[in-house]
Amino acid sequence: MKKELKVIGKSAPKLDADIRVSGKAVYGHDIELPGMLHGSILRTAHPCAEILSIDTSEAEALPGVICIITADDVDVNNISYKRDHPILKKGTVNCNRDEIAAVAAITKDIAKKALKLIKVDYRIKEGVYNPLEALKSDAPKINEFGKGEEQFGNKNIAESFHYEHGDLEAEKAKSKVIIKRTYQLPRVTHACMATSNITADFNKLDGRLTLWSSTQVPFLYQRDIAHALKMEPSKIRIIQPVIGGGFGSKLDMHPFEPICCLLAMKAGKPVQILYSREEEFILSPTRQPMIIELTTGADENGKFTFREVEIIKDNGAYTSWGATTPFVMMQTFSSLYQAPACKFDSHAIYTNNPFAGSFRGYGNPQATFALETNIDLMAEELGMDQDKIRLINANYKGEITGQGLHFKTCGAIPALEKVIEKSNFQVSAIPHDKGRFRKGIGLASMLHVGGGAKIYRSDGCGTTLKLDDYGYLTIVTGSNEIGQGSETVLAMIAMEELGISREKIKVINTDTDVKPWDVGVHASRTSFVAGNSLLGAIKLLKEKLNKKATELLGVVTDDWDYADGKMTFNEFEISLDKVSREIHFGFPHELCTVTYFYEPPSKFQDKEFKGDVSGNYAFAAQAIEVEVDTVTGNVTVLNTHVSQDVGRVLNPMGLQGQMEGGMATGIGYALTEEMIYEKGELKNPSFHGYKILTTMDMPPVHFYPIETYDEAGPYGSKGAGEAPLIPTAAAIANAVANALGVRFYSLPITAEKVLRALAEKKKEVSQNESLKTN
Amino acid sequence: MIMDFEVVSPKNKSELLNVINDNLDGNFRISAGFTDLYNQLKKSGSEGVTIINLTQLNEPELKSIHIGDSEIRIGTLVTAADIVDHAFIKVNFPVLHMAASKLASLQIRNVATIGGNICNVSPSGDMTAAMITLQAVCHVIDSEGNERSEPLISFIRGLKKTSLEKNEIIQYVTIPKNIHSKIYSGYEKVGARKSMEIAIVSLGYHFQLNDEGIIQEAGISCGAVAPVIPFATDACSFLIGKKLDELSDADKNTFADLVVAYANPISDIRASAWYRTEVLKNLACAILP
Repeated sequence: MKKELKVIGKSAPKLDADIRVSGKAVYGHDIELPGMLHGSILRTAHPCAEILSIDTSEAEALPGVICIITADDVDVNNISYKRDHPILKKGTVNCNRDEIAAVAAITKDIAKKALKLIKVDYRIKEGVYNPLEALKSDAPKINEFGKGEEQFGNKNIAESFHYEHGDLEAEKAKSKVIIKRTYQLPRVTHACMATSNITADFNKLDGRLTLWSSTQVPFLYQRDIAHALKMEPSKIRIIQPVIGGGFGSKLDMHPFEPICCLLAMKAGKPVQILYSREEEFILSPTRQPMIIELTTGADENGKFTFREVEIIKDNGAYTSWGATTPFVMMQTFSSLYQAPACKFDSHAIYTNNPFAGSFRGYGNPQATFALETNIDLMAEELGMDQDKIRLINANYKGEITGQGLHFKTCGAIPALEKVIEKSNFQVSAIPHDKGRFRKGIGLASMLHVGGGAKIYRSDGCGTTLKLDDYGYLTIVTGSNEIGQGSETVLAMIAMEELGISREKIKVINTDTDVKPWDVGVHASRTSFVAGNSLLGAIKLLKEKLNKKATELLGVVTDDWDYADGKMTFNEFEISLDKVSREIHFGFPHELCTVTYFYEPPSKFQDKEFKGDVSGNYAFAAQAIEVEVDTVTGNVTVLNTHVSQDVGRVLNPMGLQGQMEGGMATGIGYALTEEMIYEKGELKNPSFHGYKILTTMDMPPVHFYPIETYDEAGPYGSKGAGEAPLIPTAAAIANAVANALGVRFYSLPITAEKVLRALAEKKKEVSQNESLKTN
Repeated sequence: MIMDFEVVSPKNKSELLNVINDNLDGNFRISAGFTDLYNQLKKSGSEGVTIINLTQLNEPELKSIHIGDSEIRIGTLVTAADIVDHAFIKVNFPVLHMAASKLASLQIRNVATIGGNICNVSPSGDMTAAMITLQAVCHVIDSEGNERSEPLISFIRGLKKTSLEKNEIIQYVTIPKNIHSKIYSGYEKVGARKSMEIAIVSLGYHFQLNDEGIIQEAGISCGAVAPVIPFATDACSFLIGKKLDELSDADKNTFADLVVAYANPISDIRASAWYRTEVLKNLACAILP
């Protein structure tokens, strides 16, 4: 139940807000080490080709060039989720990102000049850029390390997932309405404000490697770098400078990172690689483009009966973590709203396009767009209201879904009810305007993990606490900060529990040599897992402090109150720093430090992907109002209503930031963002050509948190980071359909698509009219 | 990117003309706001380039907006923000006010100049399109001090081309003041987002009406639909003598077709030629009451 709290639930600015806005933050780009060299990577000139020869001699002769490496110079392992990705390519290149050689030089300019002097002879091949083409039997094998033939019966299948529950045929038979549609989802990118960067320093004396890297998952990254370079993980130290945007893009380790290490090892000096903005667009991972064929049914009362899903994902040339997004997508199809039966198949297909990766939402925005559009269509065909059909099928507390997800708390219905009420959905959904500007409203829900996700042998997090002689607390947490605000939440938890002021709290989370293990920032898990870990450590710390205070004051109790830097019990009072000093200087001389490791109660799913994979689950609904300009085709988002089951609000200001940031990404996904590829080459690698939205485009974000106090999370909270963008594109697509009476089955819904659809509609109407008159 | 260039910052007009004269044999670029030049240097490289920096130039004539008896004079260094904030322009030339206020972002409007916008010669230049609508005249001076003037529509000679000689700069532009009692004026800009956008299509219009509401003077420009921004003369002629409030649907269609006749758009990553033409036609109908 809700306990009265002093700090938790009250807005607090982020711990690093001051350094970020004043320009004091040290990003990877700001790092300068003595004698540091600048690395640059030569990439293929053609997305699909044979490499006949590489000649680096002229580049090596350029004054200022320290070393050059190609595949022949290095002894390394393949990288990536499927270990199908050579760090440096030889023989063949398979996509526009492919790394052929790398240079370390004394200046960036010289490094770039040297790249131009490297001569590569290619035999250009016709690539395969459409996954459906790649599936044909006469298609060439795209990735030579792929095991598709053996594992999945087709040489170009990189990864497949199959899931099912319930009696599909029986549910089909019960269905009054069956809707089948095909959806196309675009390739979009994270557009982090800080471009990718790494600085590597190798000490030849002790064989240790230090990396300043903006990874999201330092301990998995340490393991991945070690595997790539054939090193012992413990010889690699990962230090994270301030990170200017993650959003999933830094979950995989990418070739430029071990390449930078190899250059540093060969040169015997630190090497730094910084991406330009153009490189950032071309080289950083993307959200999965995919084709989703979705069939759904509902009975005469509007109760959902079944879902049948076939997904073809464009894997690109190599297999990143992104290939595992079906883990998340199948949760949405199996368990978002009550679903008696579900059959799900997904195939990731090798092509000569660049590989996709992980991106906030991890497949869920795609799945939710398809499902929520089908739901609107089923409602239309049944003559039901779009809010009603969702409410009668919504998830509920205590539900154990066909996939085995157990909703011990569930805010799905309250969230829907809230946005329906606040947006005046019933009234707003009545189409009226016939003029230039047409208004519409759309509704969508989402389900996502809220208590981590057990996808690795441990989903835990360690915490070490150190209370010093002066009453200052250092929190050394395994988790890390990539802008999401979790370190602020940790400081708030310590303030709440120990009564220490914010100025006396330090959070250390940037160094793998110092901090305890954590799986990393992903799956909306950090505040949940690191918060629980910190609470466990605080409990141990309090045991120490309670014992000493009891001893010092001669009062027997465990009921000490911690506030204002003091411990009090009835008339007894002692300052925290005094107790800490007594532990240190008094017999038997200890330090006021503790370490705790928290492992969430979630379970691995079985071979059939069934099981309660997360500590708890987040639910959300959005109602979005749009206005379509029928003259230009532009869609403007006028207003957004967001309600989300966050368990409990920890930091309202931070949470609002997550909502607004997610909304911005979601609106861009719905309306404007798309990486335009032609034959494997990116045509719009700039902010001019790739339209992320600006603050001027942002609508008001009305946020209504739902607090369900889930006992698994710290203070009852649930993970909240990914959810705000997941239903956004779906709600906007439904709103545009409401405004125009025309549906869109692909994203983004650009002005041109809208105008073409309106022109088609006009043609149809006039044809029908002329038929009538005939 | 490494920026590797010389910078000269003249303080007054005679210094400026001397600096141009001194550098005539070299590779120099003139700039005040640097919002376009920066990107150009990024592409072309800046080695051996001399930048003639106008930001320290203290010449009121070049930096101010002056309201004369029959025309208004806008100095080449007047920024988009200056234009947005100018009350007389806002009331009398909404097309220019709106074009300036829709340009890029607040930060860029604070430094981007009218002279720069014209000399960048982009088919989607917002202020340039408005100035073409208003039949502006460019006033040019060469490094010897000789002055000449030329209508903007002929000053622009093609894609990225003007009539400027290497030793010439624009000093100011003039636009004729309205001579009739009423105006109907505006600027429509189409793009995917509200700021930091370059027009996919734009339509500038400025009509002067007599007391009866009959159109006496008309200016129409179409941005981003042809290599240079056209002034839609035939569409303007069609409207003159007609009562604005009483245009029939057939009139509007004819007008829109006359506007579209000036378009010769390309397909690129931002929009297809089909879209540009369709939107231009839609806009031409939509601007009329």
